[in-house]
Order: sequence, then C-alpha cells, then structure tokens
Amino acid sequence: MKATAAPLDATLTVDASRRAAGRATAGPRDRKPLTWKKRSTPWVYMAPAMFVLLLMTVAPAIFIFYSAFRNDKILGGVGKFVGLDNFITAVTNASVQHAFLITFGFVAVAVILEMILGFALALPLAAQTRANKVGAALMLLPFAVTPAVAAMVFKQLLNPNYGWVGYYLGVFGFPNGIDLLGDPTSAWIVLVILDMWQWTPFVALILMAGLQSLPGEPREAAMVDGATSWQMFRHITFPAMVPFIAIAAVLRTIQAFKTFDSFKILTGGGPGESTEIINLGIFRVGLQSFNVGLACALGVVFLIILSLLIPFMLRVIGRRSDPEEM
Amino acid sequence: MTTTSSTSRGGAVARVIVGRTFLWAWLLVGLVPLLFMFITSIKPAGIANQIPPAWIFPPTLDNYASVLSAGGGKSESFGQLLTNSAIVSLGATALAIVVGVPAAYALTMRDFRARKGLSSWILSTYMFPPIVAVIPVFVFAGKLGLMDTYPALIIPYAAFNLPIVVWILRSSILQLPYEIQEAAMVDGASTWDVLRRIIWPLLVPSVATAAVLTIVLSWNEFLFALSLTRSGAKTAPVGLQQFTGMYGTDWGNITAAATLIVAPILVLMVVLRRQMVAGLTFGAVK
Repeated sequence: MKATAAPLDATLTVDASRRAAGRATAGPRDRKPLTWKKRSTPWVYMAPAMFVLLLMTVAPAIFIFYSAFRNDKILGGVGKFVGLDNFITAVTNASVQHAFLITFGFVAVAVILEMILGFALALPLAAQTRANKVGAALMLLPFAVTPAVAAMVFKQLLNPNYGWVGYYLGVFGFPNGIDLLGDPTSAWIVLVILDMWQWTPFVALILMAGLQSLPGEPREAAMVDGATSWQMFRHITFPAMVPFIAIAAVLRTIQAFKTFDSFKILTGGGPGESTEIINLGIFRVGLQSFNVGLACALGVVFLIILSLLIPFMLRVIGRRSDPEEM
Repeated sequence: MTTTSSTSRGGAVARVIVGRTFLWAWLLVGLVPLLFMFITSIKPAGIANQIPPAWIFPPTLDNYASVLSAGGGKSESFGQLLTNSAIVSLGATALAIVVGVPAAYALTMRDFRARKGLSSWILSTYMFPPIVAVIPVFVFAGKLGLMDTYPALIIPYAAFNLPIVVWILRSSILQLPYEIQEAAMVDGASTWDVLRRIIWPLLVPSVATAAVLTIVLSWNEFLFALSLTRSGAKTAPVGLQQFTGMYGTDWGNITAAATLIVAPILVLMVVLRRQMVAGLTFGAVK
C-alpha cells in the first residue's frame, strides 16, 4: 500500500518493481478505511446518469402517483384531490378492463408465436454456411425498419382499393377489395402478423447466437452413442438453450407490453374499441381527452404490472452479463 | 443397426431440408413489404397505386425530389423533418454517452459498495413503459416552455437508452484486465486519469456500438415525438403519418419518404448485425 502514496516521479523507477508493487496491492484485501473523497468519487461519476434517469423515470412515477388521486386536466386549470375515484373508474370501467385484457392477450400470443417461430428459424440459420451469412443479414432487415414506417407500409399493402394484399388475394379467388382492418378478428391477425414480421427476427438472431455458442462435444458423443436427432435436441440442445430462450422471452415480453406505434397507425384502436390496448387507452385518455387523473391511475396500474417483470429481467440478463457481479 | 441409423439419417436430412425451406420462405416473404416500399417509391406519377400493380415501368427519382423539395403548399419539407430526426438522435446519443461512460466506470469500481444495487436499478428502468412517462413529460415540458423543442425529445431518448448504454459499457470495462487500472493507480494516477487515458481508448469500439444503437432507437421513436412536437422539432416518422393529409394519397411520395427514413437505419443495422443483437440484449448474448 506504500506505493499508492508514492509521488508521480516514481514512474522513473524500473518496470520490475512497479509490477511487483502492483501485484502486492492486488493481493490481500487488507485495505485502509476509505477516505471521504475516495468514497464519493463513484457517486460523482454516477451523478449525471442518475440525474437523467431520475428525471425520466422516478420523477414521472412520482407525478403519476400524485396525479392519480386528483382530477387535474391539462387545459382545465388546477383540479383537486379526489381520493380513489380514478382507480375506481379504472377498475370498474368495462373498456379499461377490456384494454388490459387484450393487452395481455396480445403480449401472450405474439411472444409465444415469435418464440416458437424464432427457434424454428434459428435452427437452420445457425449452421455456419455462406448462404446463412446472407440469410442472417436478410433476417435483420424487418427488425431494423422503423416501427412507424413498417405500420404505414402494412397499411398501404392492406388498403382495400389499391393494396397488394387485397389484389393478390383476389387473384387467388378471395373476395375483391377485402378490408382486413375493418373487421376486429382480421385486424387482430394483421397486428399480430406485423409484430411477428418485425420481432421474430430478433428472437431468431438471439437463439442463433446461442446455438452457435454451444459446444459440439456433447452432440458428437451422443451421435456416437446412436442418439436420434430428436433425442439430441430434446436432451442436449434444448436444455443448453434455456438461458437464451429466457433472455429472448423476457425482453420480448417487456417490448411487447410497450407496443404502441403499430396499433396507433394501423387501427388506432378500432374498429370500435376492439384493438385499443392499454397503451392506446392511456394515450387517448391523457393526451387527447386531457383527463390526466384517470390516465395517471391507469399508468400506475400498468407500471405496477410491468414492475413484476423486473426480477425476471435481473435474473436472466444480470446473471448472464457478468456472473461474478450479480 | 445399419437400417435404423440410415433411416434416422434420412429423417435428419429431411428435417434439414424442411428447416431450410421454411427459413428461406420466411426471409423472402419478409422482404415483400420492403420491396413494395422501394418499388412504389420509384414509380412514375400516376401508376404508384395502380391496380393491378405495375411491375414494368421506367424507374424515376421524381418522388424523392418532390418529397425533399420545400414549399408547394406543404407546411414543411421532408428534408427538414429528417434533419430534426438526425439532430434529436445525435443529441440523445451524445448525452447518453457523456453521462453513460462515467456511470459505467463507477459501476465497475471495486470499492463502490452500491454498484450492484445501482446496476440493477439502471437495468430495471428498461421496463419503464414510455406511455407512463409521456404524460408527466408532456406536463413538465409545457410548464418549462420546452414543448416542440429538441431537448424535449433528446432528454427522454437519452434516458430510455441509458440502460443499454451503461450495461454495454460496464460489461466491456469488466472484461478489461483489472491489473492495468491497478498499475496506473499505483503510479499515482487518479480515477479520472484511469478513465481518460486507459479505459477510454480501449472502450471506443463498445462506445461505437452503444452510440449506433442509441441513434437507431432514437431515430425510430414515435410516441414521444408524436406527443411533444408540433412543427419545430417534428421528426420524420411522425411527419410520415401526416402525408396522407399533406399529399392526398400520393403513394409515390409516401413510400419515397418511408424509404428515406428507413435506408440509413438498415445500412447501420446490417453492417453491425452482431453488435446490435449483443447490445439489445444488454451484453447477455454475444
């Protein structure tokens, strides 16, 4: 520890002694109590990032918890404390219940389909061939497209009068000028397909990277022992892939809960309220009807639901990113 | 023995063929929307939304010229919207990197007791739904007179990308041999010297990855841009939605604008494919 206090001109000492000193300090953990300055240093480095994050997550959270108990309107001046009124409306209102219900439905269906198809795509894509290099680049394309642009393009493709989808379905004998966004069931199918088009590649690329990182020996040993390819998949590949599947599933679930652009642009929540997921509901109540109190109450409920995902995220991401630290 | 192993090999071959067919069918069908977007954008006026779709036509860049030109009854040129998008994305990226690098360094300091808790907290903010933040930010921005300005988008975008930036950089610093830092400290270097002279040069590739991801995700953002801008800071994805009103249903113009939004992002993402996936999984998948 003496070396720490050495003046800067100690750099003139020979390399060997410096290295020895370095090794000595790296060894035992008999550290002196930290000075106040040393203790505060990391906080100084952290401060700007913490300020930005507090400003955009903690401050809004405090605001919505406060406003949820009031009836403020953005344009209508100062409101007053209304107790649990907003929460009661939020819980008892049929269209709010519907919004939460279809949000969960959408997340579940989209994520499950994307996981299954993503795995099915990752298996052939993981073989390191020249064709697959092109394949992986092509795979990335939909996932790279700006979501708002993707929704706009889908909307054009589905246009009943001029869209490719309607026309080519007509060629194959479907009724002409079919309006897929005009019917709740087909609108839902379109929204899920758009989500799958955009996000299945993300899952596939995560699982592809996972498959490529698996060691070859267990599979080779199993093959020598006469295992069938199904047995190898079931007992070797799949168990080894569980951490990657967990990462993809958790990230996709969080992202799917945040989905806004495609619904806003493609259906705007319609026809009727059939596709008004909670994100659209909060947007409409808060920023179009300017009913801040109710929107914040919905936000509080949504935030609490999403917070339940935090432990999963910390587990699958935190542990894998650096095993020693978490 | 031989028969069973040969049938299982035959089954495996069949499975590989089915797998590859599915993969390439997916990839080709997946290209259709992008193909539609690009082809329509180079169609001459009048045939862009013709049914049946025209496949043979003299390609033209008229739509791009028309979209990028100012005036002509349009409230703003699409070029201005792209500029706004670029300013906001680069601004958010600069802010995220400037505050993210020191934070990532602090989170690797061994004397820093709170580092685990803070790392987890930063990661967990990724879950924070933007729709929950947008109403308070709308109210704050209005009170502070920041509505429809660049900072109203730059600060939220930086914040929402900070978990990714900090985690990428933190895991990169952890991968550097700690002895280098220690040797420098022994020589009397301050933590700032260590960050600036030792860690920063080695961190540049990771900073580039984090920066590109932040640019892409900020460029693509829609909800905040839609809620917090009117004209002065309006970004391209929001402007695109108003094209139907601005140009009637000129599909040539709409798809040209869409292509202009998407093209730079596609290039960045394809070039940095591996790093993108690693980054978007917070370094958990390499």
